[in-house]
Amino acid sequence: MKKVFLVLGAAFTLLPVQAYAGETVKVHVNGLVCDFCARAIEKVFKKQESVESINVNLSDKLITLGLKDGQALEDDVITKLVNDSGYALVSIERAEEGQDGTAQ
Amino acid sequence: MSKFLRLFMFAGCVLAAQPVEARPVSYPGGTTIITENNGDMNSLLVHYTFDGKTALGIKGEYWRDMAFGFTGLQLNYLAKRWNNADSQANLYLKGGVGGAYSDYGAFDHEVEPAGFAGVAADWEDRRFFVSYENRYTEAGDIADFYMQSARVGVAPYIGEYGDLHTWLMVQVDHKPEAEDHVTVTPLVRFFKDVHLVEAGMNNHGELLFNWIIRY
Repeated sequence: MKKVFLVLGAAFTLLPVQAYAGETVKVHVNGLVCDFCARAIEKVFKKQESVESINVNLSDKLITLGLKDGQALEDDVITKLVNDSGYALVSIERAEEGQDGTAQ
Repeated sequence: MSKFLRLFMFAGCVLAAQPVEARPVSYPGGTTIITENNGDMNSLLVHYTFDGKTALGIKGEYWRDMAFGFTGLQLNYLAKRWNNADSQANLYLKGGVGGAYSDYGAFDHEVEPAGFAGVAADWEDRRFFVSYENRYTEAGDIADFYMQSARVGVAPYIGEYGDLHTWLMVQVDHKPEAEDHVTVTPLVRFFKDVHLVEAGMNNHGELLFNWIIRY
């Protein structure tokens, strides 16, 4: 019986982590050629309540956003933020953290 | 002219060199401090970017040869940006209005309304850089002049975001009314975090030092 409770307890502990894992969003952008560009992107996205982390890769022209648990950032908002920062959106890929990591 | 006004005009003229201002427009909500110093002048510009296309700032500059200063507002407008996969090009319009104060001979202590206007264009990828900028300045009896400048640059290595970035550049200035119409300035640009620093020396042995801080 103890084993059953232990297994059930472990299962309930793990479930919320799976359900509310933060989403990872990959944003491909044109015009990212320098540190000032990257910094502008970083500053603008960090103002968003839903953004937990941001990484800008100049070589790949890629912005990787880590969203807070249970929060979302819609495509049209991302597009507006990229455009307002002065750059051109190419594409957006989404993947749930803790899943297979492939784009959805 | 009151001592206060003179002090105010001079205070705006702490720093100078016209044709650099890398990225005259920042991101929305960004503040930029630019000081440019070369053989002709010293200038200081502090601007705030409203919407990614328009930056408004306070500018002070002092032209040593012409012995006059300018203090006023400067507006930079991003007229067009071309964002390509591996490069970016920009076309900017710039203008300023304010007052000029003369330190020179018969015009000593004279104050005139003044303004300037110009166009700037640049293209860069992560290896190469090209830019052009011109400006016409009108300061009544005190001064009126035209100048233009061009730059080419190359990055000896490609840094990632956050690295120290280095550029080797050559700037050519053309000032038709100056004693030396054309000057050539080899310079080095360092770029790290919120700081961009440039240092060089022109073919007449005059130093160039520019510093941009962007928040």
